[in-house]
Amino acid sequence: MTASPRIIAIENVTKRYLTSSGPVEALHEVSLAVGEGEFCTLIGPSGCGKSTLLGMLGGLVPLDSGRVLVDGQPVTGPDPRRVATVFQDAGLFPWRTTLENVEFGLELQGVPAERRRGVATELLGPLGLRGFAGKYPRELSGGMKQRVAIGRALAIDTKILLMDEPFGALDEQTRLLMGEWLLDIWRRTKKTVIFVTHSLQEALLLSTRIAVMTARPGRIKSVLEVGMDYPRLMESGELVALRAKLWSEIREESLRAMGGRL
Amino acid sequence: MTVLVRLALLAAVLAVWEVAGRAANPLMAVPPSAVLPALRELLLLRSYPDLPASLLLTLREIALAYGLAVAAGLACGFALGMNRLVGRAYGPMLAALYAVPAVVWYPSLMLFFGLDAASKIAFGFLLGFFPVTLAVLAGIRQVNPQLVTVARAYGAGPVRVFASVMVPAMLFTLVGGLRTGLALSVIGVIVGEILGSKRGMGALINHAYGLLRTADYVALVLMTLVLIVGSDALASLVERRARKWSE
Repeated sequence: MTASPRIIAIENVTKRYLTSSGPVEALHEVSLAVGEGEFCTLIGPSGCGKSTLLGMLGGLVPLDSGRVLVDGQPVTGPDPRRVATVFQDAGLFPWRTTLENVEFGLELQGVPAERRRGVATELLGPLGLRGFAGKYPRELSGGMKQRVAIGRALAIDTKILLMDEPFGALDEQTRLLMGEWLLDIWRRTKKTVIFVTHSLQEALLLSTRIAVMTARPGRIKSVLEVGMDYPRLMESGELVALRAKLWSEIREESLRAMGGRL
Repeated sequence: MTVLVRLALLAAVLAVWEVAGRAANPLMAVPPSAVLPALRELLLLRSYPDLPASLLLTLREIALAYGLAVAAGLACGFALGMNRLVGRAYGPMLAALYAVPAVVWYPSLMLFFGLDAASKIAFGFLLGFFPVTLAVLAGIRQVNPQLVTVARAYGAGPVRVFASVMVPAMLFTLVGGLRTGLALSVIGVIVGEILGSKRGMGALINHAYGLLRTADYVALVLMTLVLIVGSDALASLVERRARKWSE
């Protein structure tokens, strides 16, 4: 994996936010490179800047210093031809049907109605949403909504998929199934995925690499390679050992984020 | 079933009105049985031959007042809602102005615009303007910022964000405000005519009332009622369609 060409390069990125109680440093000198076709997960305590980093990759959050390169070019704003984002709460347009939500990105790119309808309809099968094309978001379950949001990202067929805690609002069982489903999609489409999560289990089951971030100001503390084949079993000895290692790294940071006390 | 219940109440009210109306002084109140002939005379243009002209004038005043209220209300609402500084500076002033009973402005409107249509249009405008503006402001606050972020991430510029996210997200609230605005513009124009005018439905009502032609007066009020209920029914139809679309 490490030998694959770098599709994403984050170099010495720093970000400060101005709050009413003065500036807060969200990210400090963060560097990370991601190879093409990787499933790279960002994990770390709450408020460590994971989402900020993802926002920078998506061109939604400006940086104070450093560079973010996607496909060798600096990111200056949202670029839906290269990067598609899935947000934490699905962010579906309530006045659009499933099909219309999936079509949204293509519509903005000026793809003719007939063709984008074709693309979206074809996606409904693998999304498990056949028969829900004409339904509105309020008629869908949480897992279905998130699949529509993923479909909206897949429809514009970018090389890079950014996912900001996409399954964070789902119950554990749905979450596990969605993970399996996402793996299947990822392995078929060969996209590069940057995935933000709070769940150790999710990170271990899905990722080729896991980047652990420190408490605020966020830095990359360590990067774990997970070279195991899919599908993975949480009970396998290798994964249990990795989990222990990952937890000891994260525990320290989570404790710091909570002010050093439990 | 709903219709039957509604008709039952209507019948009861008419019955009570009939009994009470017969007992009362005919100069002050008339029973429905006396209104019916007056209504027939009115519709046959015998009692008030200038009814069509008056109706048309009032409708024209309403259309103008409401059209101006919508245009100014949308412009003002978006100007205040899209710019945080402007909104914070002028929003509270607008709300304070809205709290003043609008009728206190009417005498000065008559001074400025005269006794003819212009002052009625101005008053209808004033009444309709606030609910439209405030609905735009409420609607903008209602837009889920997450959806704006999503649209931006997928390549939407400011114009597309406005057209594809803001407008549909606020549509329901906006249409509600447009409906209230219409009702108030209608009221503004008619109240304006009643308070001082020589022409229009309000002037006819005033005339009948002043001459103690109570049956004619009630018939004219009924006609005005039809006008108001009709315009509101039309607005509610639009509102329902908007709700269906935006949900």
